[in-house]
Amino acid sequence: MAGDTSSSHAPFRGGRITDSGHRDLGSGARSSRAVAALDSDIRLTLPARPENVALVRDVLGALAEAEGLPARVTDDMRLAVTEACTNVVRHAYGGGEGTIDVSMRPTGDALEVIVADEGRGLGSSADTGGPGLGMPLIAALTDSLEVERGRSTGSRLTMSFLRTRAMEPA
Amino acid sequence: MTAVEAPTRVSVTAGPLVGPVLRRVVGMFAARADLPLDRLDDAVLVADLVAARAPAHVMDATVDVALASSTRSLDLRVGPLRAGGGRALVIDAAVPGVGNVIERLADGLEIETEGEQEFLRVRLAYSGAD
Repeated sequence: MAGDTSSSHAPFRGGRITDSGHRDLGSGARSSRAVAALDSDIRLTLPARPENVALVRDVLGALAEAEGLPARVTDDMRLAVTEACTNVVRHAYGGGEGTIDVSMRPTGDALEVIVADEGRGLGSSADTGGPGLGMPLIAALTDSLEVERGRSTGSRLTMSFLRTRAMEPA
Repeated sequence: MTAVEAPTRVSVTAGPLVGPVLRRVVGMFAARADLPLDRLDDAVLVADLVAARAPAHVMDATVDVALASSTRSLDLRVGPLRAGGGRALVIDAAVPGVGNVIERLADGLEIETEGEQEFLRVRLAYSGAD
């Protein structure tokens, strides 16, 4: 996530996208860990390593299967969450050790997935000179996306996926 | 993989998702630990038993498991459990005619106490020849 700053320009499905901007998620506010600890059916706390992204995808598959989500929604969810987790692995800790915190929670007609880290927060990344497609991609795949970022206390993406979607134009 | 990894923690609200989630996570960690197929199956069976029996013994409404793998070894730490919950969980895993499945499959079984809480630590390993 730290490599992408263009969320406000991202195309999105028509839900809402909120960029909460730079907020101090540390003292005096909810930390990313505390925020992610809200009521959720599944919570994973993993070392921010590439192989653990596959683990998150696998658990998402279990949740999607249990919830009977359509394949299209499951695919979008997997791709968006994979991108969010990959961004944490690549950018959040600058090559150092850290954790990814993933919470998954059914919320009525939608499924909410929160990906949080305790790294350096969203911002430009020294190792990427590209256009930063991650966040626009996530925004395009989600029905709503909320971004919270702290300058030094991590970031949090709250992604929501409707269980059923209206037919989209071809 | 030679070094012990920092633990991964899984927390699932007690209910129908515990089994599907735990068996996937444990299966993946067993594979990473390079356990042979029969021990991988054992690990998934232990995960299924924990998923089925632990909800009756947890402190709150979630089943929490910390996992760590190293070469040919997988450690699960289940809890927090209520006082006495560690032993009760093991006893609940007994199958008529088979005996206590967790005790029979685990290479190490330990109950840790932290104040009013208990944790059940289960270790599965493989030391045989390839």
